[in-house]
Amino acid sequence: MFRKIAVAAGLMAAAIAGPAQAQDYPTKPIEFIVPWGPGGGSDTQMRLVAQGLAEETGQAVPVINMPGVGGNVGLAEFAKRPADGYTISQIHEGLLISNGTGITDLNWDSFMPIALVTSSPQYLTLSKNDNFSTFEEMVAYAKDHPGAVRAGVTLAGVPHLHMAMIEDAFGIQFSYVGYEGTGQRIRALVGGNIDVAIGDVSSAGQFVENGDLIFAAVGMPERTAEEPDVRTFKELGQDLDLAVTRGVVLPKGTPQDVADALEAHLEKVMQNEDVRTKIKNVGSEPVFLGQDAYKAYLGKLSDTVNRLVGKLAG
Amino acid sequence: MLDAFLAGAHQVFAFDTLIYMLIGSVAGIVAAAIPGFTVTMAIILTLPLTFAMDPLQGVSVMLSVYVGGYTGGLISAALLGIPGTPSSVATTFDAYPMARGGEPGRALSLGVWSSFFGTIISTIILIVAAPPLALIAVKLGPWEYFSLIVFALTIVASLVGNSLMRGLIAGVIGLGLATVGPDPMMGRPRLTFDSDILMPGLPFLIVLIGIFAISQLMGEVEDDGKSETKGALIPDVIEFKTWAVMREVLMHPVNLIRSSLIGVFIGALPGAGGSIANLLAYDQAKRSSKTPEEFGKGTPDGVIASEAGNSATAGGGLIPMIALGIPGSAVDAILMAALMVHGISVGPRLIMDNADLAYGMFIAMIVASLMMLVVCVLSMRLFLRVTDIPKQFIVPTVMICCVIGAFALNNRVTDLYLLGAIGLVGYGLKSLDYPLAPLVLGVILGPIAETNLRRALMSEGDWTVFFTRPISAVLLAAALLSVIFSIRSVLKMRKKNRAVTDEQDGD
Repeated sequence: MFRKIAVAAGLMAAAIAGPAQAQDYPTKPIEFIVPWGPGGGSDTQMRLVAQGLAEETGQAVPVINMPGVGGNVGLAEFAKRPADGYTISQIHEGLLISNGTGITDLNWDSFMPIALVTSSPQYLTLSKNDNFSTFEEMVAYAKDHPGAVRAGVTLAGVPHLHMAMIEDAFGIQFSYVGYEGTGQRIRALVGGNIDVAIGDVSSAGQFVENGDLIFAAVGMPERTAEEPDVRTFKELGQDLDLAVTRGVVLPKGTPQDVADALEAHLEKVMQNEDVRTKIKNVGSEPVFLGQDAYKAYLGKLSDTVNRLVGKLAG
Repeated sequence: MLDAFLAGAHQVFAFDTLIYMLIGSVAGIVAAAIPGFTVTMAIILTLPLTFAMDPLQGVSVMLSVYVGGYTGGLISAALLGIPGTPSSVATTFDAYPMARGGEPGRALSLGVWSSFFGTIISTIILIVAAPPLALIAVKLGPWEYFSLIVFALTIVASLVGNSLMRGLIAGVIGLGLATVGPDPMMGRPRLTFDSDILMPGLPFLIVLIGIFAISQLMGEVEDDGKSETKGALIPDVIEFKTWAVMREVLMHPVNLIRSSLIGVFIGALPGAGGSIANLLAYDQAKRSSKTPEEFGKGTPDGVIASEAGNSATAGGGLIPMIALGIPGSAVDAILMAALMVHGISVGPRLIMDNADLAYGMFIAMIVASLMMLVVCVLSMRLFLRVTDIPKQFIVPTVMICCVIGAFALNNRVTDLYLLGAIGLVGYGLKSLDYPLAPLVLGVILGPIAETNLRRALMSEGDWTVFFTRPISAVLLAAALLSVIFSIRSVLKMRKKNRAVTDEQDGD
């Protein structure tokens, strides 16, 4: 309630003050459209970023969940918002895939990428089964029995892309089963209803510790601090980068000085120890890539997606 | 173990925790009592507040919102005939006629006590049997889920009201509506005709609010003046008979326990939760009743079944979360997020590594249900005042709440157009004496059935697996029996009607 009053008061003040100058941006609350439902990875991590941003700027940063059609409903709405820096949103790999498979016309360059803020390392996770228990055994089994290994993915989603990258790199073939979200996949993996899936430490780590599941490889350039025994794909012979990265974007056409101001605020937020710890706690890595580095990253990712998109559309 | 138990108890029984929990309980009850506002919303609002609390304190507050929320829905269900939450659809069937029949105090008390016992029973099962139950739940594959949904669809027969034919038509309309929008597996648009309004599909809560609330409110407006109730539905003296009603609830032990077990079982299966459990429990209560014809007219058994069933899903939903770290619903996912932010990994080792937290959550469940009971009993008189307010005030107020709630679900303006359109459809169907519950059931179950059928066939392209996996086969057999039983009872009813009034045709 108190927050709502604060938001309302802020809005009123802003209306009186007229158009804001970029040097003192932000002078009113910033609406943060998270195009996903509450409780998921994007929602939790972006709420932490929003809280940090509110502390940093002294303005409220209310998170508005606008889920639907794999994030595309919220982003479509966001694209129509005034490009003044007072509505921000978040994208991840899913947008590029949706664009590639023709679900949306929007792409990463329909927005102004400001900063990449979190990166969640993804692990190739195996169920306990009689056929394989290491990465090499899985590849050998999959080569002998094409299509026999059942992979749980979000169809035409990020995990699907990651699996397709593995298929492509190691010359194997999975058969895909559609699940919604990491929680569902891990459940199916523990129950033995699928054989392999992409998982992360927060959802699957304890099952691995218990011996119920196996982390076969991690899609990061280096081994992670949480799972130092899990080899990278690079060590296994193919340099694959499998991460879910989340970044903040502005609508296209926002004044460059506003974008720079937001970038500077976010850089400070991502140095905040409290925010960093909490993001690590929810199983992700706090990172910071500014506008140029983030654009370069998205451009490279876009090439990968376009190369593999044929595999995802089926 | 005793150490952990005491450590957990110590944290829950701290003064500030109890105060926050009380506030949470009231917030949950109020949010759920307003049609259009959901428990999930109330819990999201508490999430940022818990970032600053101790882990157990934060989760305890959320649990009290959760438990309060499963009860609050009954208030508008009983007094207005509008389910306050999706899990109180079946409560409207009997609690509303009972309240209209001059016993609103009894209807509320019955619901509150049933909810209380339902939560307690589910918490006990949670404490005693969480790990084995979670292991069973996790083994169930898409085949079992699909067969379960087939079984659940057969309960339409119990919800049809006067005419089996019209009930089935409503159910099919519901299944049809559920196919609009992105398909649940690939996100490909279906039946959207390239319109922005239909692109995100028809969210089930929008359908629920539109179908029940709008049609009910329009009915009230239409009704006004004709029936001389002066807006006040209730006689001057209201008898709550709190203790007498408690005894009354306990006099139906079989119904209470059966409904709670259904709630726990459905709650433990990630996916549907309370929105199915109340209808399944109602159906089972009706079928095993000696007087099934009393259902829908204000029988206490109907209220008990629905409310015990939906409240028991609260404990049931925590089973996979506490035992395995797998959220059963959006609410559980938010609870998990609240724990993880504090650096507690939620998974199969939670009970071993953070025993005090797990026990603390059990204690918090019990405390939350006691608080819910106290708050409800003390505030019931206040809620009944709602029925004293003249209709010209209450109808627009509730309508506004529905619209705000519908918007707040996804923050989409287009949902409001959908709400209006669906409301008109609901009003039309209601005026033509079509039962609305089968339609809602179709909308809930359709996507779950489709997803699991497709998932099953993607995992194993062989249809016979549905019959060779034992649990799936049992569920399909139960579905078949359920259909046979329904047809028999319809035929019997028809024969009876023919015998009584020879010239009147059954339907």
